[in-house]
Amino acid sequence: MDERRRAIIDQIPRMRRYARSLVRDRDAADDLVQDSLERALSRMDRWVTGDSPRRWLFTIMHHLFVDQLRRTKRHGQIVAMMPETIGGGATPPPQDDKVETREVLEALQKISPDRRAALVLVAVEGFSYAEAANVLGVPAGTLMSRLARGREDLRMILDDISRRKMIKVVDK
Amino acid sequence: MSRREFSLNDIHLALDGELSAEERADFEHWLDAHPEMKALSARFERDRAALAAALASIAAEPVPARLEKLVSGEIRPRRSWLAYTRYAAAAAILLVVGAAAGYGIAVAGFPKPNLEDQIVGDAIVAHTMYAAEKLHVVEVGADQKDHLVGWLSKRVGTTLVAVDFSPEGFSLIGGRLLPLAERPAAQFMYQDNSGNRVSLYVTTDPQGRETGFRRYAEDDALALYWVDKGYCFAVTGAVSEDKLSAIADAAYRQLLARTAT
Repeated sequence: MDERRRAIIDQIPRMRRYARSLVRDRDAADDLVQDSLERALSRMDRWVTGDSPRRWLFTIMHHLFVDQLRRTKRHGQIVAMMPETIGGGATPPPQDDKVETREVLEALQKISPDRRAALVLVAVEGFSYAEAANVLGVPAGTLMSRLARGREDLRMILDDISRRKMIKVVDK
Repeated sequence: MSRREFSLNDIHLALDGELSAEERADFEHWLDAHPEMKALSARFERDRAALAAALASIAAEPVPARLEKLVSGEIRPRRSWLAYTRYAAAAAILLVVGAAAGYGIAVAGFPKPNLEDQIVGDAIVAHTMYAAEKLHVVEVGADQKDHLVGWLSKRVGTTLVAVDFSPEGFSLIGGRLLPLAERPAAQFMYQDNSGNRVSLYVTTDPQGRETGFRRYAEDDALALYWVDKGYCFAVTGAVSEDKLSAIADAAYRQLLARTAT
């Protein structure tokens, strides 16, 4: 296999992780990765040698995600899970997820896609501000304000979740 | 040595490694002098660690074979990206023509408008139309609630209840029978003190997969819908998303309590 394809394969685990923070559903996230890889393969000639495959692939994925958001505006997108507090109706959470993990991922999904993408690219994927701004196609100032707001949102949503847990305990 | 003034913004810069080494030292001094900023910085750091930990397992999962095989060239792409990329809109039109001529949209992988999309699209139209009415908002008023509920239950084919949204500030004004995606649907209309109106819909959806709340926006109107046990439910109105979420949540709980008993 040529070196470039190998370099792309190396990025798949991280692409899947980023995709899953954009789209929580596992199959939908892997579909997004697959679409991104297909598009990347069809444009290998546009991959500037020396450019990080990671930045290139993440940029492609971001464009596809934005396209998808536009489409789901009409097609409906899961915005919240059913309340899990009532017996019987709600699906049990996947067993491999710890409570805290689930809460954090749930909180992440409540942040608007723009802010969420900025936050995950920088805080999880370790992109510099300049790189992340480049991936998202926005000026550095916009990236910074999205990131700051995303962090603030995450903090408030997590606080809200723990407050609700306390209320629930008191109610019982 | 002249120190620059730091602010909240620098907490982010520092966390993300965007401060130079010199700035970093000054920043640490500044943090020590501002305990509330120091606490916030520590909190952001903890949240980041929690986020990274929650996502870490995903990067460690075995990669689905289809993804690697796709890159190594062992399997073929699902789509032709040349046709897709820039011309998605034009392609969609061509595909609709193709579909009319008997060629499947599924071939090209474009999402088919599903039943729920049609139901919720019709629900928004119906809401916009009837909520704007002054005299004939509903066919049967809340003063004949038992009759309304009995009638709609019979037509939709399940035991309905008039959901109580009073904790959310809305009271029932009545309802009507409507076609949504060509099937009988119950519409219950509610109103708050300022005259804002929201409606709740229930109709059958034999093929629907049970889902979380889905959002559907069209101009000012917003709808949230979900599918549960063969029925599709939707709430719609030109109210804030938070408000509508609270209403959807209340409807879900009360309708679920009904099926549980």
